[in-house]
Amino acid sequence: MSENKVTIDIGDGAAIPTKKDRGLLSAWRLAFFGAVGSLLYLILFHPDPYLRLIKFLPDGILITFQVTISAIALALVVGLFTGLGRISHNPIINLIASTYVEVVRGIPLLVQLFYIYYALGQFVRVPDMLAAVIAMSFCYGAYMGEVFRAGIESIDRGQREASFSLGFNRAQTMFYVILPQALRTILPPVGNEFIALLKDTSLVSILAVSDLLRRGREFASESFLYFETYTMVAIIYLIITLILSKLVGIMEERMGNHGRR
Amino acid sequence: MLKKSMLLLLGVFLAANTAVAGEKVITFATDATWPPMEFVDANKQITGYAIDYMKAAGKEAGFTPKFMAVAWDGIFAGLDVGKYDAIASSVSITDERKKVMDFSEPYFRVRQAVIVRKDSKVKNLKELVGKQVGSQISTTGTFAVKAVKGIISKTYDEVGLAIEDLHNGRIEAVVCDDPVAANYALQNEKYAKSLKIAQVIESAEIEYYGIAAKKGNKETLALINKGIKAVQAKGIDKALQKKWIGQ
Repeated sequence: MSENKVTIDIGDGAAIPTKKDRGLLSAWRLAFFGAVGSLLYLILFHPDPYLRLIKFLPDGILITFQVTISAIALALVVGLFTGLGRISHNPIINLIASTYVEVVRGIPLLVQLFYIYYALGQFVRVPDMLAAVIAMSFCYGAYMGEVFRAGIESIDRGQREASFSLGFNRAQTMFYVILPQALRTILPPVGNEFIALLKDTSLVSILAVSDLLRRGREFASESFLYFETYTMVAIIYLIITLILSKLVGIMEERMGNHGRR
Repeated sequence: MLKKSMLLLLGVFLAANTAVAGEKVITFATDATWPPMEFVDANKQITGYAIDYMKAAGKEAGFTPKFMAVAWDGIFAGLDVGKYDAIASSVSITDERKKVMDFSEPYFRVRQAVIVRKDSKVKNLKELVGKQVGSQISTTGTFAVKAVKGIISKTYDEVGLAIEDLHNGRIEAVVCDDPVAANYALQNEKYAKSLKIAQVIESAEIEYYGIAAKKGNKETLALINKGIKAVQAKGIDKALQKKWIGQ
């Protein structure tokens, strides 16, 4: 079991700190303390407009998190079924899951968002937040499906055979033997996807969802302080993703994943 | 060879752009999503009331207007860094904006209109407290929405997207300039059946559109002002009003 050396590196999340980055000066630390430092500097020494800005943005940050967490939860469910579908021996289920992945991967997320919100909005009346969450999880469900599939396929064949010989059926083998082991390889890329998804939620600002970016745009377009506003928005995104990537790194270590070197 | 043909192509473009030799070219940024004032027609050409107006003003004052499609969100930032000379995009003259840019003479009087669905009983913006009301980001429509405490303001990149959301029932009303409201709620084939204008807000301050230019760009503004005055003196603006707005 501990011979399991497969790692999956998917996603465009922030770099996850590894054990090697233990030195005092690591990229993560430089970025994180640089971002926090400049944030504090701007607020303390230039309270106008930065203090005003930081007071204007929090509900946007909240929305960003709401969309991210709901979308990732939904995407995990979709991803699990897609992943199982992709390795299914049933040709129809396999075809459906594979087609879904192909279609989603072939359409830019921005276009998917427009499509689900405006094009399908004519037929189904979905509230804006829900539409954003559905669109995000529809897209990320496909990516998650690939993560699940790779994770499941990384488990040695012997595990499955041993399980069968113990009298487990297919479903039992999957849920009691394969998936718990696969979780170890799956979790880090899922964390990565989580970070990537958080960043991609900035796209929902085009759907008039008042996330962090839209709040910033509203502030900028009324105060004409473009430089100040987007500097602030960028710093806040950076701090959030850096904290998350640290957490993913810690989680990965805890999971005892020796594969990542 | 490629380089040469590229240069030739560039030359052709430049020649085409400077239609009248020696005349000053003024580049106007316009967010062409605001029918009937400025929008993109079926032939992908930027057209509308403001476009015709500036063309006429150019003829009168001796400049060649060139129009550039720019997204509304960020249109003022582009002016500030000099990507274009002026903005002809239904910019209402407000005190806030006057602090960061200069304005020409007013060229159109405008009021804020509240659009609702046909089945709505709302007669007044103030009745929409607690409801979601849409507008295009950073327009005077947004300011009117925010002036009423308790309304949940929802800002869109384009007014057309707000109208579509109203049509689909996601929001309760849209606030925008009255000629635009009339264009969507009365003349648009799709929306005229489902939407209506509930209220035209009469505010104490009269709102006018002006051409915005970078602070201190007196030369450009002088030319534009000369044009606007001539257009008004000759009554061309009345004809344009009839052509684009119909009243």
